[in-house]
Amino acid sequence: MFGKRAGIKRGVGDALPLFVPAVPFALVIGLAIVESGINVFAGWSGSWLIFGGAAQLTLVSLLGPGAAVIAAITAALVVNARHLLYSAALTPTFQSQPTWFRWVGPYVLIDQMFALATLESESDPPAFRIYYLAAGATFWTLWQITTAVGIALGPVVPEDWNLELAVPLLFIGLIVLGIDKPSKVVAALVGAGVTYLFAGLPSRSGLLVGALAGVVAGAIVERMRR
Amino acid sequence: MTTFLATVIVGLGTYLSRSVFILALARKTIPDSVLLILQFVAPAVLGALVIALSTDEGGSVAIGLPELSAFAVGGWITHKTRNHILTLVVGMSVYWIVGALT
Repeated sequence: MFGKRAGIKRGVGDALPLFVPAVPFALVIGLAIVESGINVFAGWSGSWLIFGGAAQLTLVSLLGPGAAVIAAITAALVVNARHLLYSAALTPTFQSQPTWFRWVGPYVLIDQMFALATLESESDPPAFRIYYLAAGATFWTLWQITTAVGIALGPVVPEDWNLELAVPLLFIGLIVLGIDKPSKVVAALVGAGVTYLFAGLPSRSGLLVGALAGVVAGAIVERMRR
Repeated sequence: MTTFLATVIVGLGTYLSRSVFILALARKTIPDSVLLILQFVAPAVLGALVIALSTDEGGSVAIGLPELSAFAVGGWITHKTRNHILTLVVGMSVYWIVGALT
């Protein structure tokens, strides 16, 4: 019982600081929904139907009067294509989980959850499951509330605070925590460097090119070391 | 109606991309060579995301001295303390201070 409670506490505790930088992002999405002129409920429904901020923002920004719907859908799906990599990377961890969890877990597999799950993947299966569900439920609940608040209030956080920087800042922290060998440093640096070189590609697809390049570079260095 | 339908499609596509390997390979043995590659997904994607999240709509990367200082100090704080709140507070403070000085 104590272990379960501790797992929940740890999942919620790890999710909260990672959610803080998502607050201005959620508010921006709320504002974008209002400004795009689309039906407010339909726009907000992306918070639980998609549960992925970048794709939701892409979709509501590109939808609107006279928008090319197919182009908007395609762009949003390209933005979220990196989740294929998350799914592949976490497959070994999910293999030791019950079927229901393999169906439910991926629904909340956002960037932050992937990072936390990777760091937690060595835990025993029940402990991992409790931690994952606690962190996922925390992100999900707060996301629904803050995007709704964003629709109601608009930009309440001053833009010049640039609070968006907190997201990459915390991701750097998560990279640091996950690095246990030089080849992972190479993967992170090549991932960042190639994304930088391809930053101008449409729909932020440079992110995918960079991520794949980083994976390949890390694997090559690891093979050379062996 | 179009907006809701478009959102449903993107929602289904997103769930599919998050679940496809987890569900399809649930009972398959994953070769060691693939496992070796998969361990690099997290650092590579997170490294790529750091840059993608610092890129504006026009495709230019906005990383100057304030951002680099925040990233360096934030990374060091996480390494030393493993505390995300402290990383957030100190990193953002460094960003605002260096931004005000430069």
